[in-house]
Amino acid sequence: MVDRDDFIEDDLNLDVSIDSEIEKMPRRFQRRRPRQLVPDYIDWKDVDYLRRFIPERGKIMPRRISGVTAKDQRRIAKAIKRARTMALLPFVAD
Amino acid sequence: MKLANRIYEVMYIATPDAVDDDIAKLNDAITNLVEKDGGTVSVVEGWGRRRMAYPINKKTEGYYVLLEVAGSGQEIAELERRFRVNDLIMRYMTVRVDEDRKAADKKREKRERRKTSRRGNEFGGAGAETADEALEA
Repeated sequence: MVDRDDFIEDDLNLDVSIDSEIEKMPRRFQRRRPRQLVPDYIDWKDVDYLRRFIPERGKIMPRRISGVTAKDQRRIAKAIKRARTMALLPFVAD
Repeated sequence: MKLANRIYEVMYIATPDAVDDDIAKLNDAITNLVEKDGGTVSVVEGWGRRRMAYPINKKTEGYYVLLEVAGSGQEIAELERRFRVNDLIMRYMTVRVDEDRKAADKKREKRERRKTSRRGNEFGGAGAETADEALEA
């Protein structure tokens, strides 16, 4: 793992002490992990890695949940789509 | 003479009915074809029969083969034309990988450089080089 000095600490304090009014509103999505690190080369054949971004339904996990950068999300999405064409990953899972 | 040297990953899925002999013959034919156009096949990796994530041509299994081809790109065009008419091959895909790999290498290098320079700072200014060398030794 790489240590990053530009790590944003705010991400960690997401759900700390917001006033009660806001608390009543359901917080629908919680960032799963702040700032996910992604390998330099995303291999479309690496099914085990890609599966981390595919919940049961077979859809591609949105960025707001996985916490990857926009750039990495594009690379991951592309790899997943390639894997799907070669039937390594499902388009829909039931 | 080679104008451009590109690296491609070519993967195809053959029918599970194909026997190992068919696949070997097919791979030989592919290698010949690529070399005729001045390219090289550096990797031939048979994954064997494997369950597919969804059925293709009413088959639930497929015979996966991964190749790595270097060349100008013309051999790929010819290769894909052959793939399309080959009954054994249910699906194929070609991905150009040299650029992404280069980008990945660059990223890694950059990270390593940053790491060493930061380590140098820890030991402070002038003594950094010797401290680094001591660590390497």
